[in-house]
Amino acid sequence: MTVSSLTPTELAARLKRGLFLRTGAFTVKLQTTIPNVSEGVRLLYADYPLASEDFADFHVSLSRPFNLRRWFKPQVWFRLEGIAPFQPLPYDQSFPLLEWGLNWCVSYHANSYLMIHAAVVEKDGHAAILPAPPGSGKSTLCAALVNRGWRLLSDELTLIRLSDGAIVPLPRPVSLKNASIDVIKKFVPTAVFSRAVDDTLKGTVAHMKPSADSVVRAGETAKPGWIIFPQYQADAATRLEAIPPSRAFMRVADNAFNYSQLGQCGFEALAALIDQSAAYDFTYSVLDEAIAAFGALQAPAPRP
Amino acid sequence: MISIPDQTVDASDGDVFSSVAWRAIDGAAEIRHWGDEYVVYNVRSGNTHLLGFAAGQIFLKLQQSAADAGSLASMLAIDWQLDPDAEFMQQIASLLADLDALALIERA
Repeated sequence: MTVSSLTPTELAARLKRGLFLRTGAFTVKLQTTIPNVSEGVRLLYADYPLASEDFADFHVSLSRPFNLRRWFKPQVWFRLEGIAPFQPLPYDQSFPLLEWGLNWCVSYHANSYLMIHAAVVEKDGHAAILPAPPGSGKSTLCAALVNRGWRLLSDELTLIRLSDGAIVPLPRPVSLKNASIDVIKKFVPTAVFSRAVDDTLKGTVAHMKPSADSVVRAGETAKPGWIIFPQYQADAATRLEAIPPSRAFMRVADNAFNYSQLGQCGFEALAALIDQSAAYDFTYSVLDEAIAAFGALQAPAPRP
Repeated sequence: MISIPDQTVDASDGDVFSSVAWRAIDGAAEIRHWGDEYVVYNVRSGNTHLLGFAAGQIFLKLQQSAADAGSLASMLAIDWQLDPDAEFMQQIASLLADLDALALIERA
């Protein structure tokens, strides 16, 4: 059963008592009565499987405060296991807060993985990891690639399983900001988006629905293939430049959420990833050219 | 995380360039090399360091056996087919000081 099998009324009722949702390697129990969260889930999580109700990795809720804030400049709280890790946000930001909160849950708790702040997409069994700071065009490029033949593994969190180095999918809605929203709407007119929310800490934010294929194949891991540091630069020519593995190691470590926490295990996992990947800096301004450049990538031979 | 260059020269290396023998921290580092650079994880400190070719080679030599700066310089001069002149010796001393500062080597 998937979320789409529930009517809007059934979904709202399920969310009120707790919707068990399978998102990649994790099961989330989500409780809320907030209509725009329900609407966002109905729209963007339609293809996600409902999970058995006897276990969840994360028990999260979104709710309005029970005070004057309920009526005056209303706000929304995100809670994990009943505890609010962040300050409340304006009520209008309820759905983006759910997405940010779920990312936080994974990035602070999933320490059986080396977690890199990076988008990751897959083709022919190999993953292209795109680590980059905000503003680099990472999510825009990711959104374009997954609408042109690449499978979405994640737009935000690359999970390297410590036990075997496999890259584990966490396909969830792709977060786009500001000008990127219209760029992707024009690039992929059929893409499904949540309502754009203005004035968040990140500016205007909207989320793009992942493909049904990426959700259905969430259990299929990928092998390392490429580590590509993207940088959008207006009017720049498309340029893919190899970088030394040692430098890639240090840059990926800097982009990892838990490299230091994992200690020697993190070092070994990252070294194995680097051994199996080709690393590049990638500058682009035209999405079609960027996609062509990705299409021309050759699967790397493992280093001896 | 700290990156250290190959060619730093620090005027305060006199102590390093003495008869003191150095060794790599005992069983407490992991090292990988790609091309001409090395990445070292210090198990004791939890820090990761990017080393240039020369620093990485010195670290590997000191993993094999303890050595003082002079004998280390002599060995490396042979490996690299360089003249172990004063400038070379000074560079080795400087790199030893860097590795010591990173707690990757210690007095034997």
